[in-house]
Amino acid sequence: MSRGTISIAGVGKEFGAATVLDAVDLTIAGGSFVTLLGPSGCGKTTLLRLIAGFLEPSRGTIAIDGVPMQGVPPRLRPLGMVFQNLALFPHLDVFENVAYGMRIRGMAAAEISGRVSRFLTLVGLAGFERRRIGQLSGGQKQRVALARSLALEPAILLLDEPLSALDLQLRRQLQVELKSIQRQLATTFVFVTHDQEEATMLSDTIVVMNGGHVQQVGTPGEIYRRPASPFVARFVGDINMLDGRIEAVDAGSVAVSVAGRRIAVPRASVVGNASTGGTCQLACRPESVRLGEAQADALSIEARVSALHRLGPTVKAVLDTPLGPLTALMMADQPRVAELAEGKTERLSVPSDTFTLFAST
Amino acid sequence: MRGATSTPRSLGWLLLPALLVLALFLGSVALLFFHAFWGKDGFSLIYFRQILDRADYHEVFLRTVSIAAIVSVAAAILAYPIAWLLWRLPRWRNLLLVIVLVPWLVSLVVRTYGWLVILGPKGFLNETLKWAGVIQSPVPLIFNDLGVVIGLTHVLMPFAVISTLSVLLQIDHRLEEASESLGAGGFDTWRRVVLPLSLPGVFTGLSITFLTSMGAIVTPILLGGVRQKMAGTQIYQEVVYNFNMSKASAWAICLLLLSALGLALLRAAEAALVPKADR
Repeated sequence: MSRGTISIAGVGKEFGAATVLDAVDLTIAGGSFVTLLGPSGCGKTTLLRLIAGFLEPSRGTIAIDGVPMQGVPPRLRPLGMVFQNLALFPHLDVFENVAYGMRIRGMAAAEISGRVSRFLTLVGLAGFERRRIGQLSGGQKQRVALARSLALEPAILLLDEPLSALDLQLRRQLQVELKSIQRQLATTFVFVTHDQEEATMLSDTIVVMNGGHVQQVGTPGEIYRRPASPFVARFVGDINMLDGRIEAVDAGSVAVSVAGRRIAVPRASVVGNASTGGTCQLACRPESVRLGEAQADALSIEARVSALHRLGPTVKAVLDTPLGPLTALMMADQPRVAELAEGKTERLSVPSDTFTLFAST
Repeated sequence: MRGATSTPRSLGWLLLPALLVLALFLGSVALLFFHAFWGKDGFSLIYFRQILDRADYHEVFLRTVSIAAIVSVAAAILAYPIAWLLWRLPRWRNLLLVIVLVPWLVSLVVRTYGWLVILGPKGFLNETLKWAGVIQSPVPLIFNDLGVVIGLTHVLMPFAVISTLSVLLQIDHRLEEASESLGAGGFDTWRRVVLPLSLPGVFTGLSITFLTSMGAIVTPILLGGVRQKMAGTQIYQEVVYNFNMSKASAWAICLLLLSALGLALLRAAEAALVPKADR
């Protein structure tokens, strides 16, 4: 088990009568970049504050590297935290902000200044030592907050939506830097965000949360390709959802009828217990919708193009089909895509193995 | 549309009371200077010279400044924990604030007489100490400078509490969490984060209590010694008993200058202690 492993077992948290977290089980591997992703109110910030020790769980246990954290105050936990509003000390300059934790620990002055300059260099702020916090831009403040918590070399760094106040350009840039810093230090990063793109971009592992529950844990690819619930499918990326009826279940596939058409979805793509006669939802990503007949087993339909958005390298088409509206995302340089126009009728196909089937319970 | 054009004019009338107050204030100050420099025989600096020459007058000013300095520091030190508690206990804040402010509902004279009952030679404190055998004869707690300091500190402390609290309330609680996550305990967090950030409020309180003590009249008259005057009581005596407006004015101007000097020193101390970017 590498340094900075967090084990969360059966953790629940109530505020008065409101249950914010309900029986969360989660293991965060040491040295990985993990994102807690979910809409506001899903409990992700509460979970982060429970790990930090600013809150105590109502039930369950949290252990860091095997040591139970119950009753351990935040200052004695082996972790750093970057706050949403950064919480930099306004009365101290950049140097003193980064040196703060080291001063508390009573480190020698020479070691403090050595470490401060090392970490300011790491975040690209060498030479800013004597600037006051009020003189810094949003991105620079961000870097100071990062350097301040990393300078103590914690096993774990908790980040509570630290980039949410920045504009998109700067955000993208800091995401890249954040990831590269995490790779260099091999510190466990636990990052809270509601932005699925940010989560996908940064993480080794994404923990999708909703309504106080963990919905799915997986790599960004797994979460995108094999969402564990309709909620995850909708929350991570664009998705088309179709209602269907299960016609037959056999060893290799599940046969579904969708508005009179029949397709066979491989068993590997089925979530939940599919039983003959039951209803289900079929999810497919916009990029799985193709123009023309597919070679392999596929859902094939006639559709009218109701709206067309050309987005540079890609084209997004909203299509009227007998199954309801479908969104398709295609590469703009395909010859047939270039000829698409609003109002035209086209034949579409969605390969069966690109669907995820959610059986209704 | 009609409202839009008539609003500035009606707002102009609202300035009238403020202008009247300003005129009254400036007029009084002008009158003060006139009296101070214009005696029975025309322009004269006799009262200023008197102040500069007489050692007993130096003593009065020295006592005034010393008492004001001690009172403002004592009020700041006593007020800080109260303000901190009010800040820390949001649920109790309103109740505690009422307790801090309730003395203001009682007239200053009544409050000061309260101290006579407690601190007098036959007062509660001396009688209790005598009964307990700690002392044989009463300790002189009032009718001296100590009595004035106690009385003024009591009267002025709520100002210090409120000015400190108002700044504490602006401190983001996340700063404390950040400090804690960086390994600081409660005391370290207070010393390194909360205290420096609350200093501007402490200095505001110091300024208010210092200036008010400099001009105190009622408390020194009731609790002070007969011969241990403060500048305020001296001026009061010149105006009310001696009808010597010129002397009173000269004293008032000297008191004003000393107050301004004290305020300037406080400002300098604040500038040295509190970094510029936070103010």
